[in-house]
Amino acid sequence: MPTAIVWLHGDSLSPTDPALVANPDAPALFVFDEQLLAAAQLSFKRLMFLYESALEALAGRPGEIRRGVLVAELLAFASEHGAREIHVTASVAPRFRRYVAELGDRSQVVVHEPQPLVSRPHEPPRRFSAFWRKVEADALRPTGTGPAELL
Amino acid sequence: MNLRTDLTDRTERAAHLAEALAGLYRGAPEPAPTLGGRRAALARLAAFDPRDYNRTRNDVLHRGVSALSMYLRHGVLGLAEVRDYVLNRFGNGPGVLKFVNELGWRAFWQTVYAAIGERIHQDVEAPKHQMPRRRGLPDDVANAETGLLCIDESLRELFTTGYMHNHARMWVAAYLQHWRGVDWRDGAELFYQHLLDGDPASNNLSWQWVGSTFSHKPYFFNRQNVERFSGNAFCARCPLAGGGCPFDASYAALAQQLFGVSLAELEGVANKPRKKTGEPGN
Repeated sequence: MPTAIVWLHGDSLSPTDPALVANPDAPALFVFDEQLLAAAQLSFKRLMFLYESALEALAGRPGEIRRGVLVAELLAFASEHGAREIHVTASVAPRFRRYVAELGDRSQVVVHEPQPLVSRPHEPPRRFSAFWRKVEADALRPTGTGPAELL
Repeated sequence: MNLRTDLTDRTERAAHLAEALAGLYRGAPEPAPTLGGRRAALARLAAFDPRDYNRTRNDVLHRGVSALSMYLRHGVLGLAEVRDYVLNRFGNGPGVLKFVNELGWRAFWQTVYAAIGERIHQDVEAPKHQMPRRRGLPDDVANAETGLLCIDESLRELFTTGYMHNHARMWVAAYLQHWRGVDWRDGAELFYQHLLDGDPASNNLSWQWVGSTFSHKPYFFNRQNVERFSGNAFCARCPLAGGGCPFDASYAALAQQLFGVSLAELEGVANKPRKKTGEPGN
């Protein structure tokens, strides 16, 4: 029985998603969030892009894509797999924080941080020029060689 | 309900998705030419040569842009790995530096989003000029039938491909807000519905950057700018080429017409020549 599942969401749709990489054998789930999408009424093109990206991110592991109420689907998926933990990669979206809090009431949530371009300033400047002055040196310093697939 | 994960044919995938997500999308269930997924993203990254990016990125037709924005927005590619790749492969010439600067814009929007959250959906600051704020998208804009070729072709590209060049986004956003008096939230909603790279923070804050509720002055443009950055392709074929183009004026005249102030007043510093500053990219 796995002890964890991975929640894959629209801000981190890659097979190199940190939560997926940290749990190479864990079942993973992407949910087309009915509440969000019913309100947003996006073009089909956007949803197809998400679907194709999710399919590729999940390939080669036990993974599912569902339509439904996001928190309920994740809790059901975790329960079906007897998993005690839900692993996910962080997003800055307020909705993400709300979902993590909801899930946290019923399950153990482990949040993984994506590699940032730069360290985030404590007080974000209101203008890009000021932001860039603070982070430019950091932004121009490579931390690796880029995607391993292209080496 | 569970969606199928076993289909490999794109047409079959689209047909299945259209049925499975019925009621959750608008318009016809047609996929964009751009493929989702990491393999397609890496192919685009491998084909991108940013060495002339600083000179070519603003050209709406010839396009020195990376067209990676949808992959970066959805985390199919990470900002850091793309930065690492271009610096390692191409060194740090002016084109690469400008490209990394544009990656910085995305990091900036995300930083602001992390700090102010849902407030991105309202004016972040007071507007720097008087402007009408009508709600609702005009039908001619929704149908890409404004009669202005630069605007209509940009909108048609958005509706058919899910993409619009960044410079064209700035024209459309300025046109809707400053010439048509439409509230930025309605324009932003249109873009968000269609752009494959639609991101709440990048999109809303860019619209506000154009409108001046997240910048120190409104962004606007004129016909010369359209001609210069489209190789004259739009203006030469535009029905208004011979007269009636609302953009065919100097910046000084447009500042008076649109905002009721001189260019110097709009800049906030009298007698300072207009200086082109950094613009958000995609």
